[in-house]
Amino acid sequence: MIAEWLSRVRFLLRGKSRSEVDEELQFHLDREAEANLGRGMAPSEANRQAAIAFGSRQRAREQCRESRPAWFIESLLRDLRYGLRGLARNPGFSAAAILTLALAIGANATIFSLLDQALIRALPVRDPGELMVLSFAGDVSGQWHSDGGSSPGHVHEFSYPMYRDLRDKNSVLSGLVASASNSVGITWNGRSEVVSAELVSGNYFDVLGVRPAVGRLLQPGDETAPGANAVAVVNFDFWKTHLAEAPVIGKTFLVNGTPFVIVGVASSGFHSVTWGRMPAIYIPVTMQHIAQPERDYFTRRNAYWLNLVGRRRADVSLAAASASLNQLFLAIRAEEFKSLRDQSANEHKKFLTEAHLNLDAGAKGFSPLRDDLKTPLTIVMGMVLLVIAMSVVNVASLLLVRAATRAREFSVRYAMGATNGQILRQLFAEGMLIGLAGAALGLMLAPEVQRLLIRWMAGRSPDSSVFTVSLDWRVIAYTMGATLLASILFSFAPATQFWNPNFSDSLKQQTRDGSSSMHFRRTCVALQIGFSLLLVIGAGMFVRTIQNLRNVDPGFATDHLLSFDLAPLRAGYSPSAVSPAERRVLDAVAALPGVRAVGATNDPDLADDNVDGSILVPGYNPKPDEDLSAELPWVSDGYLQTLGIPILAGRNFNAADTATSQKVAILNQTLAVHLFGSAAAALGHHVSRPHSPETDAVIVGVARDIKHNSVRDAVVPTVFIPFEQGTHPAGLTFYVRTWQAPDAAANSVRAAVAGIDPKLVISNFITMKEQIDDTLLGERTIALLASAFGLVAMLLAGIGLYGILAYSTAQRTREIGIRMALGARRSSVIGLIVREVLLLAGTAIAVTIPIAFAATHEVRSQLYGVSATEPGVYAVAILIIGLVAALAAVVPARRASTVDPARSLRTE
Amino acid sequence: MPVSSDLLQGTLDMLILRALALQPVHGWAIAQRIQQISNNVLQVGQGSLYPALHRLEYKGWIRAEWGASENNRRARYYSLTRAGKKQLEAELANWDRLAGAINLVLEKI
Repeated sequence: MIAEWLSRVRFLLRGKSRSEVDEELQFHLDREAEANLGRGMAPSEANRQAAIAFGSRQRAREQCRESRPAWFIESLLRDLRYGLRGLARNPGFSAAAILTLALAIGANATIFSLLDQALIRALPVRDPGELMVLSFAGDVSGQWHSDGGSSPGHVHEFSYPMYRDLRDKNSVLSGLVASASNSVGITWNGRSEVVSAELVSGNYFDVLGVRPAVGRLLQPGDETAPGANAVAVVNFDFWKTHLAEAPVIGKTFLVNGTPFVIVGVASSGFHSVTWGRMPAIYIPVTMQHIAQPERDYFTRRNAYWLNLVGRRRADVSLAAASASLNQLFLAIRAEEFKSLRDQSANEHKKFLTEAHLNLDAGAKGFSPLRDDLKTPLTIVMGMVLLVIAMSVVNVASLLLVRAATRAREFSVRYAMGATNGQILRQLFAEGMLIGLAGAALGLMLAPEVQRLLIRWMAGRSPDSSVFTVSLDWRVIAYTMGATLLASILFSFAPATQFWNPNFSDSLKQQTRDGSSSMHFRRTCVALQIGFSLLLVIGAGMFVRTIQNLRNVDPGFATDHLLSFDLAPLRAGYSPSAVSPAERRVLDAVAALPGVRAVGATNDPDLADDNVDGSILVPGYNPKPDEDLSAELPWVSDGYLQTLGIPILAGRNFNAADTATSQKVAILNQTLAVHLFGSAAAALGHHVSRPHSPETDAVIVGVARDIKHNSVRDAVVPTVFIPFEQGTHPAGLTFYVRTWQAPDAAANSVRAAVAGIDPKLVISNFITMKEQIDDTLLGERTIALLASAFGLVAMLLAGIGLYGILAYSTAQRTREIGIRMALGARRSSVIGLIVREVLLLAGTAIAVTIPIAFAATHEVRSQLYGVSATEPGVYAVAILIIGLVAALAAVVPARRASTVDPARSLRTE
Repeated sequence: MPVSSDLLQGTLDMLILRALALQPVHGWAIAQRIQQISNNVLQVGQGSLYPALHRLEYKGWIRAEWGASENNRRARYYSLTRAGKKQLEAELANWDRLAGAINLVLEKI
């Protein structure tokens, strides 16, 4: 086997020379003639007989050449040379075909790269296949902090004591890591900024197999006791972009006012075990109260805040690991149940009987962001697949038309002895050339397009994007696969009109336009209309969605509204100093010129953020199984007025509502009506958090509803209380209503805050309009891409249809001449052709509409305010495609009808 | 009656390998040998012999060297390589099985 290949390679490099073959054949003939002489023939007869016995010497020589291993490559090169010559002869056609493909392939590479990064790629850690994401089913009783991605059966947050028990007592994992993420203020070289930090267990880097780029990473010894491990590891990208790769080891910086020593930098490319988290620093989980000064989670069994990822031992099966860990988990839960306040049978059932620990494959990591991106990315991927399908049909129809005009060339080649296979091979070589040129151009465009798209998606925070411009082997493989498949498909399209057992006959008929090629051409037209209609309908749906979302009235005016975040705790303030500092900021900003009003809340509006929990309302009897819960914003007295939310009953908060006065609350209309039937009826009742009598507040007012999470979501029941009456100090989001353009106020606000205390870091300056746009990123991205693909589809359909129709109309010049000679008017001839095209378009549209219904129905979760059968969208899309088709038909039809009948009769 | 030269390609390959089994031979002699030994039943198409020889050479089953012919002219002598010997054994075994099977069928019917 190996010898065979070696021999082939040797001959591939150095085949036999022609003279050698000739000499060998000559020897044979001479020897045969000699033998004939020996049989008594005359010399001339001997030579003649020898030649007859040998047969065609030329044929033997050719066959000797063809059996050379290099023959395949030689003939391929020859085909490619022919192909190149053919393409160069028709530069307009070639450019159109290559550009069409480049567009489609560039779009595919771009989108597939994003899809690959978000949905396919494994985490850059050691043996990602062994990782398991832990989540549980069962009641969550206490404080639950989630960054998303959790659902009732799959709670991804655990308490620290639970984590420690699971980590230390299991026998099936080689490691279990915990992590949580939040924003912290850091001060480095006198400069303060707010960055994302990841709180991680000491074994985090060890278990994941991440290496340090500089210094050391965190170790189990960095997780000893609350507050005892003030060390930090810096993310590589952050080190590069924000710290200029300075020597940081051993240096001290402040995290929320507390000094931390930097011990190392994590290796490049690593961000987090949770895909989508982009922390700047990693600090031990034991420093939770520093990173999250508003929360006291670390030692509590009823605080759910840590994401857990385990590494399964290679010798343990998934089922065994799950069984063993579940046993451990339920034993710990049983212990925990004993200390719950609610010991009812119902709670026992919810907390214990229905509890279960889930182990899910974790090679790609747990990721709320991935859950959010999955559907939009899949939709966009579907669109680019449609685009590439469309480009294949497009190029196929261009090739078809071109091949038809080349019938004579093929007849000549056939007459010169070319076989079917050779002609097919040449068609394929030409197709491959177009495909490769298109792919090369597309891949060249892709990184630029991707960079633009990523920058556009990242919006105001360009270095926080989870996506990178990347054409890795998977993207290249996908692109090459798509190119190959596309090339095969469109290369053989022209062959369909020749492909017939009797090739030469069909070539002769070609000049008369065989019916099979007519059929194929009609199919091409119909497919192009169908594909482009789908894409245009998609574009219409998503553009309508984003328009609807932009036009939603959230219940307050979103213009002239600037917001920023400020958390004195992050500047190292003691808890008791926080509220007074925030009050000073409110007063200072209110005094600025150009500021109409200022208010603050700990629960920002239209930012996809929630601060919610159960509430207790004496005098209201919840229905069985009703879990009475509400959004619980802590606001300043100017908040409702600043946003412009009117009070429907009772009064607004005022300066008399202080930390020490009677606690008060304002309900929103939805909650007041739900609880008491009307706004006025709610006044004077009390509301509190369960098991927390200190939170008891009297309802003094009812405010009109506003949308809270995002413009997409419905109004949620809400209880407002004054922030100074909250149970703990909180960072606030400030809202400033301005007279002029809101961003113009940013500088004076900054200066006012700096005047109070330069350590106070303002982060996230953003206008409300920008904020809304941020929460609509997914919808905006789909709408942008869908519109782009819709436009591309229209363009391609226009080019493709025009190409085919121009050709087939030219074919009918003779028929048109006859009609006109018999007295048909120009307009009726044009009408005839356009009618035929529109009939075909109508059929294609009729077939496509049900497919579009089904496709739109599939993506309805991404639509807003537009139904899957929205007549307006369909009507406009059909109109557009119809116009494109009619235009593509009218132009060639007009040209054909202007030809002098006498001349057109003489064509061919 | 001579069998047409339209021999199955695999069969021609096997005959060539067999003809080379004893000693190095040149092309003309291979054709002669096959024809003589088969009592003129098998006539190798002389023109198609050389492409077959080259193909086998490219596959590494036979090797060729220039040598002096019986009448002292330069001629290409072919001989079996080790891979060629193995291939020949395999093909012969295959042929035996096939021929045996066909014989069995013919005798039984």
